[in-house]
Amino acid sequence: MSLIVPGLTVFFTVILAAVPWGLPDDATFILPLAAVMTVFCWRAIPGANLPAIIAVVFGLLLDVTSGGPLGFWALLALAAASAGTRAQPFASRSDWTPLWLVWTGLAAILAVSGWLIASLYYFRWIDWWPIALGAVASVILFPLVWRLILRLYGSAYPRSDFVGRGAI
Amino acid sequence: MRKRNSGPKPRPAWRVPVELLTFALYFLCGVLLILSRIGHGAIAEARAELGDLSSPFLELAAKPAVEVRSVVARVHTYATMFSEIDRLNAENARLREWEWRARSLESKVEHLRKLLAAVDEPALRFATGNVIADARGPFVRSALINLGRADGLRAGYAVINGDGFVGRIVDTNESVTRVLLLNDLNSRIPVLVGPAAVRAIVSGDNSGDLTLDFAPDGAPLYPGDEVYTSGSDGILPRGLRVGALVGKGGNIRVRPHADLSTLDVVSVIFFDTPALLSSANPGKEACEISTAEASAPPVEKSIQVRKVDGVVAVPNTAAPIQQ
Repeated sequence: MSLIVPGLTVFFTVILAAVPWGLPDDATFILPLAAVMTVFCWRAIPGANLPAIIAVVFGLLLDVTSGGPLGFWALLALAAASAGTRAQPFASRSDWTPLWLVWTGLAAILAVSGWLIASLYYFRWIDWWPIALGAVASVILFPLVWRLILRLYGSAYPRSDFVGRGAI
Repeated sequence: MRKRNSGPKPRPAWRVPVELLTFALYFLCGVLLILSRIGHGAIAEARAELGDLSSPFLELAAKPAVEVRSVVARVHTYATMFSEIDRLNAENARLREWEWRARSLESKVEHLRKLLAAVDEPALRFATGNVIADARGPFVRSALINLGRADGLRAGYAVINGDGFVGRIVDTNESVTRVLLLNDLNSRIPVLVGPAAVRAIVSGDNSGDLTLDFAPDGAPLYPGDEVYTSGSDGILPRGLRVGALVGKGGNIRVRPHADLSTLDVVSVIFFDTPALLSSANPGKEACEISTAEASAPPVEKSIQVRKVDGVVAVPNTAAPIQQ
């Protein structure tokens, strides 16, 4: 299966995360985490092709556009990709609630890990509030993003097994 | 009975085990983080390359975002139109009074300068560009602008917008430049505060307001006092408006005049100082710098205005009028 559609989707979200939307300072974590969530969603679809190395490349691109240290978002994107593969059994039905719960847990882990890495990087405690807000916002956004990705997947690969099982 | 070999067996394609590849990628991310922490040169080069590659996409994607922002701002303006008119009327009355005082002070200053035979300060050159990306994440508060080394920019230059000082350049690529904003955790700017010109350092902590550090004990600091760059670091020009003091007692903070979360058009001031030039060429002596300055093309002694997307931005580099 081609990686064009998943790759373009993640690239699009990475670019969207970097664009100056004029969001307040507390909302700086929301859009990058949405890009990481897109990686998770694509990897959770059985048969969709988004290699882990591509997730890392997009994470590095996010690092470059956000001005942070190289490797931070790449690490979070890789963790989301690994978790997405393990979460495939939860994504095989039309009910998105189990996958949502998985993402909720993962978002909490990513937020805590991100906060710890950032604090370790600067040798001081980073403000946790924007990171927590980003994680909560990603949990709220998850059903919408998942639906959009399923729709994209369905229109790009209408004959796939996953679509045939009535996931959309 | 032995089976006859019917030909060479197809060799199974060798594949890296997924776990091994994933582990290698985790390791790579860890190494990159450590190299970034120690500021390795290869990381800076890779970042510059990637930044240049991604800049056309960012520039393209920033246009609709800027449009969306302006539409939202317009809707907000319509919603608060009547209160805004009242506020502008009051502000206009106050500014007329200030205009009269400014003209009076201007003539006094001119008279005193003539008496002292003071030499005119050279006008500052600048270039204006658009913000095409802003930092997202826990690490930095920075912005990427669509000007680079090709436009004559270098690390250390001050960046302003119509409201005041915004930050300084920390990284220049060929076509894009990263600006470290005032409220970034790593930002430290020497400033003068209030009519008494109290010396202090303004630091960022990734929040909206800035911290005022190293102000002398008992210094006359009051809410509303203007904060502007002192230029004592030898890099930034003196007198760039930074913000105003807010809060009381021991909890005095600085609120930047520029809205750092909604930057759009910014100007970079070409202010070459010996400190800046020597930091750019660490191995060279001061005499070489003077030679380079002498051989550089003549600088136009006037403010240059560059038109960007139909907007003409004139930076306000003047220090606030002392009361």
